[in-house]
Amino acid sequence: MKIPLRLAKNKDLPSIGINHVAETNLCSQTLQLLDEYRAFTRSLSVMLENCTGCGACAKACHSYLGTGDFFNIPAARAGLLRRIFVRYFTWSGRIFGGFAGAGEIERGILDRWVEYFYQCNACRRCAVFCPFGIDTGEVVLAGRNILSRLGIVPSFMADIARNELTSGNNTGILEPAILDSCSFLEEELLEETGLQIKIPVDKPHTRILYLPSSSELFVNSDTLMAAAKVFHYLGLDWTLSSMLLEAANYGLLFDREVMKKHNGRIRAAASAVGAKKVLMGECGHGWRAARMYTEGANGPFPFQLQHILELVAECLPELRLTKLPIRATLHDPCNYGRGAGLVDGPRKIMRACVADLVEMTPNRDRNFCCGGGGGLLMDEMKQIRMQLGEKKAEQIRSLLPLDYIAVPCASCKAQFPLLIKHYGMGEVRTGGVIDLVGKSLDMRGSAVFAGREPNLT
Amino acid sequence: MGGKNVELNDEGFLAHPHEWSEDVAKAFAVLENISQLTEDHWTVIYYLRHYYQRFRIAPMIRKLCKDTGFPLAKIERLFPSGPAKGACKLAGLPKPTGCL
Repeated sequence: MKIPLRLAKNKDLPSIGINHVAETNLCSQTLQLLDEYRAFTRSLSVMLENCTGCGACAKACHSYLGTGDFFNIPAARAGLLRRIFVRYFTWSGRIFGGFAGAGEIERGILDRWVEYFYQCNACRRCAVFCPFGIDTGEVVLAGRNILSRLGIVPSFMADIARNELTSGNNTGILEPAILDSCSFLEEELLEETGLQIKIPVDKPHTRILYLPSSSELFVNSDTLMAAAKVFHYLGLDWTLSSMLLEAANYGLLFDREVMKKHNGRIRAAASAVGAKKVLMGECGHGWRAARMYTEGANGPFPFQLQHILELVAECLPELRLTKLPIRATLHDPCNYGRGAGLVDGPRKIMRACVADLVEMTPNRDRNFCCGGGGGLLMDEMKQIRMQLGEKKAEQIRSLLPLDYIAVPCASCKAQFPLLIKHYGMGEVRTGGVIDLVGKSLDMRGSAVFAGREPNLT
Repeated sequence: MGGKNVELNDEGFLAHPHEWSEDVAKAFAVLENISQLTEDHWTVIYYLRHYYQRFRIAPMIRKLCKDTGFPLAKIERLFPSGPAKGACKLAGLPKPTGCL
């Protein structure tokens, strides 16, 4: 199935550290890059050598279930790369060729990689159901990395990577706008609560550096306002950084070098304010990148790394919360449930904030992706994303009537409103988990308000 | 647009924001199926332009609503593609990107 994905132009690549490869060299370069990748990531060879084609992944994959396209079966998707690997890097493939599942490298295969590696959200649900634990999400990311180094990059990814590398956030917000937006949100908080709740930027000698999703300074401002309320309530010493106003790291989704470079800003931003703790906001893949890759990419790091949902879950006994009279559910972002084990914290928080919490089926590490993850939020992919989200829509429909779906990830926050409207459930509201804490928190219990000593968690 | 050629990027936004004029906004309105640009449309368009000229980025949606006095639902009625993809296009801003 052809996809309408727009690719970055050659002239736009050097600014993100990528050089385009001449058409005549594409095939030889592909083999060289695959060879380098398998040497660096040995698990890739294991995953490419051990698939028996049993098909257990087919019904586990929302992309295949939503599109019905054979090559969206994870084994078939990975097979597009596997056949090249087998042909050039295994003895059986070299000798027996097609009989051993091998395929010659040719220009057309790269187009197939683009089509099918970008219909995968890299949600890794297939890995949970594969008897060998083969993680097609990782095979897809390997394929996207190779494509990227060939100069084949979606323009959406290239634009975001450029913003990350120049301004330190996906949206490209520069310091004057950050200061203006934060002072506006402080006024909004004052109007709402009557309290002088600060959203500090670049405050020196600060204990906690908070990295929100930059979308919180554009569309998801409720999440940042709620976080500021909670920090104020707990008396935490925190700041944002104009150098890194971002939890996300799109490099994880298409290019290791971009990932590593952008990740390096965490250390720089933390040391600029002297932070002892880096607290990550509601962003799925960003949490996985920070939690699982910072140490290897730029470590060891001289600060503690924590997710805001873990911190708030720990501090629940200190928060005076009034349960909201709503029926709500939690969507486990793939990169929390399967990428970094963040499933209990958000549930504890929600049980404290809403009267009726209902679980999706399946959930936690078996939850279905919403179809917006893995960097597929580009407009031109909207129609396909709606197909990818069909299983998620079914899960939600079975829980109706619902007032609220908590989606503690900025990609999910972008996908959900479109998805539920597309499937005729536009009346259900969506937003973060922290947003709920902000709404149910009784600020009269605040540490600062009560004149208590700040809690230096 | 308005008798002048302006370059659009692949996403249909102005390639060079300085080429914006009211005629450009009117031509975009036709493409966006907005039958007529009312005073309310111009209020949003000029607010976005002034903000962009100062900060090189589109304002937060919450700030746009507060400063124009228009609730989000009204802005979505005025610009059916929404504030980011519709209003910003008519105002000649680059398309906002990120997890949006």
